[in-house]
Amino acid sequence: MASTTVTPGRTVRKVQPIPQTRNRLELALWMFMRYSGLALVFLALSHFWMQHVLIGTHEIEFAGTQLRWGITGQPVTVEQLIWRAYYAVMLILAVAHGINGVRQVAYDYFGHRPATYKGLMYVVVAIAAIISLGGILALFMGAAAGGEAALR
Amino acid sequence: MLTPLITTARESLRYRGSGHVLWLLHRVTGLGVVIFLGTHIFGMSMATFNPPLHEAMLAVYKTPLFSLGEIVLAACLIFHAVNGTRIAILELRPALWDKQEVATRWSVIITLILLAPTIAIMAFKSISYYATHGLR
Ligand code: HEM
Ligand code: HEM
Ligand code: HEM
Repeated sequence: MASTTVTPGRTVRKVQPIPQTRNRLELALWMFMRYSGLALVFLALSHFWMQHVLIGTHEIEFAGTQLRWGITGQPVTVEQLIWRAYYAVMLILAVAHGINGVRQVAYDYFGHRPATYKGLMYVVVAIAAIISLGGILALFMGAAAGGEAALR
Repeated sequence: MLTPLITTARESLRYRGSGHVLWLLHRVTGLGVVIFLGTHIFGMSMATFNPPLHEAMLAVYKTPLFSLGEIVLAACLIFHAVNGTRIAILELRPALWDKQEVATRWSVIITLILLAPTIAIMAFKSISYYATHGLR
């Protein structure tokens, strides 16, 4: 990777323009990393601040999730649909961004050993797919019914 | 098996400069958040599929070790978000390329500005919780 010297004695990375690539998919993924990142600034930070600063981790209760996701088998309110959409979009963007990030890291370290690199990525994608599918299903089914006490 | 570690250590020693430190931090924080996210989505989906397991995971969220881990998570997430925004804006707007050093400095400053009150509030809430509920 080339470098530019801006002030004598200090070097900064020369950021790449849209990478010269033969591969349209790589270009699309490169763009996706930037735009999903910008979307995640709002989604992930708002979620994190809601859970910590507004609610506080020690006050997180099952009932809160029931309120936002709705309860399995019960009618859904518009508000709950909005929460579900918010979580679904965040889940999909964060997982896709994260997997593509892991792929870049794996390529940097294992790119010279294609078998290891491919094997690793199959495992990562498989685990992520199963977990995400579960997460999306859970979201659209709503949380389980019952109060805190009934669950124990 | 040690290749990743050796590569990271060698590359970060060989090339100095604030750009490289930020690059390494961006990588480490991104991987940290991915690992959290995997367990997190699993744990939250158990609110539907296995409520007792979900409750057990929420209980873990309320232990001192996790409270410390959370502060690390906050730092990772906020740094990665601010630095990632810097990367995205600079790379999508080549006209700004002569501003890179300023941008690097600002991404550190903005991270600290966002992080300080977040950590303060989180620490305050945690401490007052453990003060009234005791350590478990
Ligand atoms: C794994 C990914 C990377 C590899 C293998 C790598 C490799 C290299 C190489 C071979 C050079 C010397 C090239 C030259 O001087 O023209 C270099 C220089 C440099 N790279 Fe990277 N690079 C990577 C990622 C990055 C990233 C993401 C950044 C910035 C955030 C960065 C910052 C720099 C800087 C500041 C220099 C100049 C160092 C100096 O002149 O002393 N590198 N890198
Ligand atoms: C909060 C807003 C976020 C922004 C603005 C952002 C931005 C970015 C950008 C622009 C890159 C590409 C860096 C490069 O090509 O040099 C990147 C890489 C990465 N991101 Fe994010 N991201 C965010 C959230 C996340 C989240 C939530 C995760 C975890 C699920 C994550 C995990 C990663 C990983 C693992 C990489 C690869 C690091 C590397 O190649 O060294 N990021 N991020
Ligand atoms: C320790 C910090 C965090 C806590 C305490 C927390 C708490 C929660 C809670 C309670 C829910 C259930 C929904 C609700 O009640 O509204 C949830 C869901 C979710 N969180 Fe977090 N969160 C944290 C950090 C994060 C981070 C950093 C990310 C993303 C990078 C994230 C992504 C998600 C996603 C995608 C869901 C939906 C899961 C699903 O559909 O199965 N969370 N979180």
